[in-house]
Amino acid sequence: MKRAGFILTVLLVGMGLGQAQTDKLEQEAMKILKEGLDKNPQFAWKLQQDESQRICSRYPSREKMPAKEIQKVMELNAKAIQYPQWGIYWGDWKEGQKIVDSPRGGRYATYGFSDKPTDKGGNCYACHLIEKGKPGGTMGPSLTGYGKRYGITKENMNTPETIEKQKTVYNIVYNSWSVFPCSAMPRFGYHGVLSPEDVMNVVTFLLHPDSPVNK
Amino acid sequence: MRGKVLTGLVGLMLAGSMMASSQDLSPEEEIKQVQEFNKLMAEGINPGEIWAEMGKEAFKKYNLDKCDFGLGPGKIEGALAQLPRYFPDAGKVMDLETRIGWCLQKYANMKPEEVKKFVMQCWGKSQCMGEYDAIVMYISMASNGQPIKVNLKDPHVKRMYEIGKRIFYARVGPWDFNCATCHAGTKVSTIRATVLWSMDRGEVGKAVSIFPKYLVRWYQPMTMHYRYAECMRQMRWPTFEPHSDLGVALSTFLYGSANGTPIKVPGIGR
Repeated sequence: MKRAGFILTVLLVGMGLGQAQTDKLEQEAMKILKEGLDKNPQFAWKLQQDESQRICSRYPSREKMPAKEIQKVMELNAKAIQYPQWGIYWGDWKEGQKIVDSPRGGRYATYGFSDKPTDKGGNCYACHLIEKGKPGGTMGPSLTGYGKRYGITKENMNTPETIEKQKTVYNIVYNSWSVFPCSAMPRFGYHGVLSPEDVMNVVTFLLHPDSPVNK
Repeated sequence: MRGKVLTGLVGLMLAGSMMASSQDLSPEEEIKQVQEFNKLMAEGINPGEIWAEMGKEAFKKYNLDKCDFGLGPGKIEGALAQLPRYFPDAGKVMDLETRIGWCLQKYANMKPEEVKKFVMQCWGKSQCMGEYDAIVMYISMASNGQPIKVNLKDPHVKRMYEIGKRIFYARVGPWDFNCATCHAGTKVSTIRATVLWSMDRGEVGKAVSIFPKYLVRWYQPMTMHYRYAECMRQMRWPTFEPHSDLGVALSTFLYGSANGTPIKVPGIGR
């Protein structure tokens, strides 16, 4: 009995040390990362890792993540979703299209380029195919005919079922990690890159029967 | 022969620059140009030559023949292939570009700010012929054909490798990206029309062994540290500091993972 206790203690101490070692390297990596970037204090907040980012950084892919960690990231991010003042509604798909199209949003490197920190855009075509015939990337799933594939028509546009579907897509655009934890898709709403209204317009562009996405 | 090669290259680059001034190239035009350049490379005409010639001059001008890149002062044959490595004189692990910066301070009396300006003179520009890029090209081309052999048994190097690995997977910034967002995974994926190399598909060697890489859309080579800066700009991180430990850590992880791949500089890309 005593022996078992001793072995357990040794094991626990060993595990503790292993964990401490990992954390030390993680912390050092973050320190070196920050020191290697422009130190303008205006940007410092952008490099503070939140808990989800810290968890996701520990695994090379979602397949290698323990189920408990996946659950944790989904919970943290589901909690962090905010909805527009009026709740879920149809926005303006033309405004959404502009945000989807712009590749420049959010860049703020200071050499040689004309990116303005105020540029708004999701750069969605980098990873997705969206409008038919427009070139896009293949990192994310194809979104061509998204609303149509979801069964949204002029007739059922305002039914509770459609509003539920809009909400699902809103959650993905606002905070992708609430549905696909640690995925490659930025959490646009969570970080304030897009406002709830912007997200609503993007969702409208993706789902509205009049939008070119569903033509 | 060399004169003829250079004249041919200058002609090709001028033709390119005329096109560039009228409008930006479409992806199809860029891909066509890459193919043309690759054909020239097969015939022994190398767009890196112009920079290497210029770099050879600058190498002497800035007293870099006193600089030890790991194989003895001024010795550059095979130097890139064994970098990053630990340098006792600096007490640090350094990659090629960081070492050049250190030597510019020591032997050319440049202040750190001057070095930074020297390094970044062509960043965000096209048709820019900078002495720094030329020096990097000159030294890198002297390792052509040599397999990369980063000494991961050295504890300093191994530590930098581990830090670089953690940085590669660190999710940071307002867009939640890490290097692996684009450069990992078993499935082939593209950003717009660009196919991305993947750590998980064993393509890291193919990616790093061709740097500096000649980019047809800008008519200039891109060094590794400029490549890091461009990636980080796309990741919505602040401006990358060239020659920082961040760059060294990434180089150690990337080149260390690429051990065995022969160096083939410059690569040609869009």
